Amino acid sequence: MDFSQFNGAEQAHMTKVIEKKQMQDFMKLYSGLVERCFNACAQDFTSKALTTNETTCVQNCTDKFLKHSERVGARFAEHNAGESSL
Amino acid sequence: MSFLFGGNNRSAEGSVDPAKIEMAVAELDMITDVFNRLVTSCHTKCISQNPQNHRYVEGDLLKGESVCIDRCTAKFFEVNKKVGERMSAMGNAAQATGSFGR
Repeated sequence: MDFSQFNGAEQAHMTKVIEKKQMQDFMKLYSGLVERCFNACAQDFTSKALTTNETTCVQNCTDKFLKHSERVGARFAEHNAGESSL
Repeated sequence: MSFLFGGNNRSAEGSVDPAKIEMAVAELDMITDVFNRLVTSCHTKCISQNPQNHRYVEGDLLKGESVCIDRCTAKFFEVNKKVGERMSAMGNAAQATGSFGR
């Protein structure tokens, strides 16, 4: 996105808008990840507490998703950079 | 996907042009939406459906997964482009015939 045509007031406004969206996006990411890892890992309902395996599974699930998201982000940025140089 | 805001009329330092802001916000929303869908789709295709991840034994990305993610994102953008081309072609055809639908 090209912000060079925006004046000072508009840039300040956009910064606030972007900050708010990033916050909302983060909350969505968090709750999405909880649901995803719960669905994948919580299988044993003979007890209220998470088993060791389930705990490890959740930690790995979270790590893997975040690394995945990071990699996708990198490819996305590369693609956009490539496009804007056309 | 980048939208160049044309026009050289720089308004006064203090005033905010609502139309410009609205367009920028719409573009931002679209890009965020595309990104989120991309993350979800490629996670489903490359990680959730990987039988090795049945119980997430490992926190790092496996080599196969990394390759899959790279290819998945490339294909996603290709699909994005093709769908866009197709839809604009259909739009042109509809204008030419003066009607919509097959």
